[in-house]
Amino acid sequence: MSRAPLRQVQEWFATAIMHPGSLAEGVRIAPHAERFVADGAPHALTAGPLASAMGRLAIYHHGYQARLVECLADDYPVLRDALGEDAFDALCRDYIAAHPSQSPNLNGFGRHMATFAAAHGGEHAAFASELATLEWAIVEAIHAADAETLSLDALQSVAPERWANARLLANRGVRVLRFEYPVNWYFQAMRRGENPAIPATERSVTAVYRQNYVVWRMDLTAKMVNLLESLYAGATLEQGLASVPELEADEVVVWFRDWVAAGFFSEIDIA
Amino acid sequence: MSNRFGLPDLGIGVGLRSVHYAHILEQAPDVGWFEIISENYMQTAGRPLRMLDQIAERYPVVMHGVSLSIGSTDPLDRDYLHELRALRDRVGARWVSDHLCWTGIAGKNSHDLLPMPYTDEALRHVAERVRAVQDFLDAPLVLENPSSYVEFADGTMKEWEFLAALAEEADCGLLLDVNNVYVSAFNHGFDAREYLSAIPYDRVVQIHVAGHTRHATHIVDTHVGPVPDSVWELLGPVHRRCGASVLLEWDTDIPPFEVVHAEALRAVDVIAQERRGAA
Repeated sequence: MSRAPLRQVQEWFATAIMHPGSLAEGVRIAPHAERFVADGAPHALTAGPLASAMGRLAIYHHGYQARLVECLADDYPVLRDALGEDAFDALCRDYIAAHPSQSPNLNGFGRHMATFAAAHGGEHAAFASELATLEWAIVEAIHAADAETLSLDALQSVAPERWANARLLANRGVRVLRFEYPVNWYFQAMRRGENPAIPATERSVTAVYRQNYVVWRMDLTAKMVNLLESLYAGATLEQGLASVPELEADEVVVWFRDWVAAGFFSEIDIA
Repeated sequence: MSNRFGLPDLGIGVGLRSVHYAHILEQAPDVGWFEIISENYMQTAGRPLRMLDQIAERYPVVMHGVSLSIGSTDPLDRDYLHELRALRDRVGARWVSDHLCWTGIAGKNSHDLLPMPYTDEALRHVAERVRAVQDFLDAPLVLENPSSYVEFADGTMKEWEFLAALAEEADCGLLLDVNNVYVSAFNHGFDAREYLSAIPYDRVVQIHVAGHTRHATHIVDTHVGPVPDSVWELLGPVHRRCGASVLLEWDTDIPPFEVVHAEALRAVDVIAQERRGAA
């Protein structure tokens, strides 16, 4: 038989080593297997001094899964601890099969995990999905471009009579995440090594943002998030404050001080 | 004793890893140069790139990629090449290297350095792509010999023959990883000295040293340190023949920077001992 074209060699090899099932199955079902496999053995490959051809190919098959599971564990360390190593490993292996990397780098490889975990099922699928949402927001914040942020001085320099119609423009790098579970509480407890049980549902909102190349998380109350999202949607200060009932002036001042210090706004529009 | 491309001998360098950013920027250690993994600074605009900018202001930087996939039969990824060139220009990288391998096909990336069949077809294919990349970068591409764990039965040449022929045909540079030579020699049962005797040393721009992990039937190129004596023993004669920049890779169980740097500096003694032996 003539030598197989390079394209065929690569299609067979790559499919075999990336096969989510056993390697023995992978080498048989991969394209052009009839050219490269006989009696279940990959005769296209040579045995080594101490290992069979299949044993040598298994190094690549194992390495493919292990490398990508490790990448996902880097992105989702708390999810891994929450689910336990075996369940997380199974989740990752299914994820890798469903979302193989199509990029030269791995920075965005784990971006589908929240959606995938929700659909993957299991007792804690809904919580796992929300935890993945929080951890992915942290990854995105690490890689986000620097953003101009409004300073407290700039805010205080606005004449009081212009406040009502001013608009505080959103820093697009800030992510405001709404959860059905107390996800940030759990995340923080796990980071402290407390290993709490998976919590019951309890709505929460957490902002994820980066300052000076450090990623931070800030919990927001219902009133805070209503005001913040109103402003982010383009409301003037007067409109935003009016949209949230029973606000205390003192508490709002503290919120704005904290939010501006955290870089939640890019600029103030007083046009 | 210099390469034909006129690329400088940067001395002894260390692979830049994120766990060492703070130490490097605060302590400014006396390191000859840093090698970055190119892809770690692509498709990001955040902290990694900012750290790299600051380090590149103080040290020579070389780029070492893992996803060029020069051996793949997929088309070259033009978006990747544009980003690679932009990063090269941003940090003033002295040269750009990658591996003699392929990483995936049909758009899927295994993120592994997959072995080539060493055939005439593969040689022509890779040489053409290397020339295309060099035209794009307007600079020599430097290719590293990978470690490998399997060989193709219908290969018509040895890896070192392929590497030498490729370097000649594509007029590219070489990054000679002596740990990879050691690992592949064990895995495939060839003599590392035979491999090293066939290398066109005027094309060797850089040398890698690293550690590895020995299993019952094979050795894996894990970049775990320290570097075994069996790898240091290969460095001396190689460096005597090319005088190229030397870099330590340490990627598994990475210790504090001082430990990595001290291990890299063992190359100074190895090189000096080789010179004394040759005198």
